[in-house]
Amino acid sequence: MSQHLPREPGDIEIARDATYYRAPETLRSSVQTLVFAAARDEARPRLRRAAGLAAAFAAVAVVTWNVALFQAAPSREDMFAHEVLAAHVRSLMAPGRLNDVESTDQHTVKPWFAGKLDFTPPVRDLAAEGFPLAGGRLDYVDGRTVAEMTYRRRLHAVGLFVWPEPREGDAAIKQRTLNGYSLATWHRGGMRYWAVTDAAPIELTHFAELLEGG
Amino acid sequence: MPHLDAAYNLARWLTRNDDDAEDVVQEAFVRAYRFFDSLKEDEARPWLLAIVRNCAFTWLRKNRPSDVVALDDTAPISEDTPTLGHAAPSDSNPEVILLQNASRKLVNQALEDLPVGFREVLVMRELEDLSYKEIASVAGIPIGTVMSRLSRGRDMLREALELRLKRAS
Repeated sequence: MSQHLPREPGDIEIARDATYYRAPETLRSSVQTLVFAAARDEARPRLRRAAGLAAAFAAVAVVTWNVALFQAAPSREDMFAHEVLAAHVRSLMAPGRLNDVESTDQHTVKPWFAGKLDFTPPVRDLAAEGFPLAGGRLDYVDGRTVAEMTYRRRLHAVGLFVWPEPREGDAAIKQRTLNGYSLATWHRGGMRYWAVTDAAPIELTHFAELLEGG
Repeated sequence: MPHLDAAYNLARWLTRNDDDAEDVVQEAFVRAYRFFDSLKEDEARPWLLAIVRNCAFTWLRKNRPSDVVALDDTAPISEDTPTLGHAAPSDSNPEVILLQNASRKLVNQALEDLPVGFREVLVMRELEDLSYKEIASVAGIPIGTVMSRLSRGRDMLREALELRLKRAS
């Protein structure tokens, strides 16, 4: 195979004549280390909270069903994921009430939020990228009023929740699925973002990367 | 680690550099790992490749912005498409080139010199064996565009090789 010479450029076959670069062994182990470390960092606060809960339970009578509750002690991020999904699904269920303001124009949606929130959500039009804006609404997550912008992806709705969350530095996109929905979260410029959709996970990846990159 | 070779191969062809490809793959896996379990096997590879692609393009925009130019998918291929064969083969002795596993080197170089928008669809189709539909979802472009880029990309590759072989002989 390596002796094959393309004297005629017409008989090039990329699959045969170009290199398939296989991952070096060093990369395999470094990726493994990184992924394990990331998983451990995420699990740690959960364990600590579980330990705290265990102590609390020990102090009072432990009711059997509480054990199940304790084992499932969710991380803060897990709780947000559930809250955001619930808020989004509720808005889809209420007939005709997906959005409080319906507009494809960011210059209509953005002013609508003014005066209703103690922060200014960044409203962007992504129609050119295949995610036209559909409107905006208010909801309640983590004990505060938050903004949800709604975008369309063909026949699917994509909800984008935003609220201020002080922290040092930004956080890259993390994605997950929950009850068949895809969720992504990241932090940028003092704001926490949660995106949720029933479209394919890969579509949400594009959506999140567009917003995070911009 | 599932699909690590596929991730590395795409990153390597997009960044055209071993070290940068490793950085891109590491970042992609950190972003992706949590989600892996919930995906069906046939969804996982295109999805991971989409993350790799996004990480690679973010990297390119930051470090080599001239690599990332928007493609005009309606334009016919002009005679003087600027990317064709402007880089000379690194070894200019024709006999050496032809004898030392020349074909692979020539094809690799010609493919590397294609604009990234053509290079990525060719790599995904020919080396990763993705379907048109999968390529469309990874690159975020319509299927028709995938097909026209594949066809134009193959033409450009052929022309670039003609030029290189002419120079070498």
